[in-house]
Formats: sequence, structure tokens, C-alpha cells
Amino acid sequence: MNTNRLLIAAVLAFALVKPVSTHHSFAAEFDANKAVTLEGSVTKVEWANPHIWVYLEVKDEQGAVQAWQCEGGPPNTLTRNGWGPNSLKVGDKVTISGALAKDGSRTCNARTVKLPDGRSVFAGSSGGDNPPPPKQ
Amino acid sequence: MRRAAVSLLAVFAISAAIPRSAAGQYTADQRGYQPPAGATPRLASGKVDFSGVWSKPYVPDMTKDGKDQKGHAVLPFTAWGEGEWKKYDAANGDYTGACLPFGMTRSVNTPEPMQIVQNDKYFTFLFEQNSWFVVVPIDGRPHRQGIPTWFGDSVGRWEGDTLVIDTINFNGRTRLDTIGHPHSDQLHVVQRFTRPDLGHINYEVTIEDPKTYTKPLSNTRTFTLRTDWEIMEYSCEENNKSLWEGRIKVPKF
Repeated sequence: MNTNRLLIAAVLAFALVKPVSTHHSFAAEFDANKAVTLEGSVTKVEWANPHIWVYLEVKDEQGAVQAWQCEGGPPNTLTRNGWGPNSLKVGDKVTISGALAKDGSRTCNARTVKLPDGRSVFAGSSGGDNPPPPKQ
Repeated sequence: MRRAAVSLLAVFAISAAIPRSAAGQYTADQRGYQPPAGATPRLASGKVDFSGVWSKPYVPDMTKDGKDQKGHAVLPFTAWGEGEWKKYDAANGDYTGACLPFGMTRSVNTPEPMQIVQNDKYFTFLFEQNSWFVVVPIDGRPHRQGIPTWFGDSVGRWEGDTLVIDTINFNGRTRLDTIGHPHSDQLHVVQRFTRPDLGHINYEVTIEDPKTYTKPLSNTRTFTLRTDWEIMEYSCEENNKSLWEGRIKVPKF
């Protein structure tokens, strides 16, 4: 798929991302219609309330590095779902799927994170939830 | 959008949804937890004891049904209530994102667990969400006549083995749920707790607010005892980057 096709796909992709957030309204900050998948290297992890943040470097097709940041769930909920402060380490290669921030910054809300060991884990709040769709 | 941004290894998904059940993904439910079996526990006084750490369903939209949750599908808005609902946009101000108190219904709606600590005089909600708590006198005293608050003023009474917690005197600044269903300072919340066995609470919440709704609305839920969990600290303010970096706005009241 070339770049133009990707652009078209992005515009047409009104994908219904399942928004998850617990301390705030997902819709206040992120756009459920803008799904994103990032492949990159972890540069920092902030394991802190109210949400963890994962920072990563993502290379474009020309090899230029761009810095992204992705919000995950609360540390408490992630702990109960099998995560820990050392689940992600600096240098780990990860794939994060989520939704883009509304403000156009390189910020995402992580839905799933594929870990270095191959596991794909839920990065949001507690399992089994049913977050609301965007307000109509 | 710049070409470079589009051509990142970041690939915009064109699927209908990000998969929630990717291979290897696991959740608490999928680990197969079962609560202990046993009879309804009671205090020495004979009253039902609701103490414990409870898993409760995440209810971001109180009109919807879900696991362990029965919603109220059609909301009977007044004209004022419908206007409040239509104009609400969390992007213009999100009090929870600003770490202001969630209020009673939205705290119970959170996916984080809560602990109940109880004796004959008090029933206490210990919400993990933002480490908030609400102490409810259940010894028959009337409501206090204080300044309206985010969580309101709660008192409890017994109807047989059902504990009824009645809450009024809200400041009207919260929302019923994450999606933002409105209420006014005339909100009256009635929560009914029964414990049919050791491992479960049957919960019903009824919302009365004549300024916002023409008729009461209610939800019914099941809470599950988690003997394997403890409540953990949750500091909303610790690393609230979304607020600091301007993606979340503080509402103007």
C-alpha cells in the first residue's frame, strides 16, 4: 500500500475504536474515529496514576525518528490484569494499537500493546467493560 | 496531513474496530475467578454485613445493559434536562479529567473496585477511583443540612435485610456517568443493597431529579466479592499529563 492509499484509508477509516478511560472522559481528549497502530522502541515508561504513559520512537519510511506518547490504563487495573512496572523496558520493540488525540499531537490512547514476548495485552481499564460510544 | 506522518510505520487501521480479544490477551474475568460460596454474613447485631472488596461493573452509560448491569434505556428528560444533554461536550470541560470529585453515581460506575467497611453505626464506601471515600451514617439519624457537595449527604436505613442509602444535597456539578448524562442540584439518589450470599451484592440505584427527568430512572447490578484483591492507592493528580498539556480542559461552573 503506497502512501497515498494510506492517506485515503486514514480518512475513510471511521473505525469505531472502543474508547477506554477511567479517570476522565475518553471523548474529551481522544478521537474514537481515528485508530492508529504504532510500531516502535520504548524510550520511557511512566508507571503512575492516573494512567501509565509509554513513550516510543517510531521511524518513518525515510528512517527519520519521531517521538510518540501513548496513555494506558491506571496502574492498579493493569496490575490486576497481569502488567507490572517492568513489563515494558527502554529499548523494547512494541506495537501499540489505539486512538489518536484530538489535538493532532503525536499522542495516542493505547488499547492493546503487543509485548516483546509476543503477548498482546489489554492496555486500558479492567477487562469486560463496555465503554460508551461517542455521544451522538 | 504531512506525507511523512502518513508514511510512518504507524499504520492507520482500516478495520471496523481494534480487536478486544487479540491472541494472548487476558482479563480478570478470563482468569476464571469465582467468589467464595457461603451464607450471607451478619454483624453481631444480626444486620447484614456488606464488608469486603467488591468488583462492580463499569457503567460509562447508565442507559446501556452490560455484564452484571441492567440500564435504563430511555431517559425521560424534561426540556431543561434534554437541553443540558444536547449541549454537553466533554472536550469543552471534563471535571473528572481535572481530578475534581466524580460524585456518587459516577464513582459507583467506575471499573475500579470499592471496599465496603461497615458496623452498626456507619457504612463506608472506599472507592479506589481517586482514593475517595463516603461515610454513611446508618443509625437512623436524619440528613445533615450542610453546604451542597459533590457527593451529597447520605444516610442509610434498613428495610428488612436491605440497606437503603439515601443521598441528597448535591452541588449539581457532576454527571451521572462517563458519557455525561446530566443532573441538577435537585438530584436524589437511592441505593439499595442486598447480599443474597457471601459472594454477591445485588445493587439497585434510583435517580430522581424533577428538574432533569420527568420520572425516576434506575439501574440494577451485581457486585462480586474479590477475596484476592486489596484496594490500592489511586492519585489522580500524580501524573495527569492530559490536563497539564492542555488536552483536557477544566470546566467553568
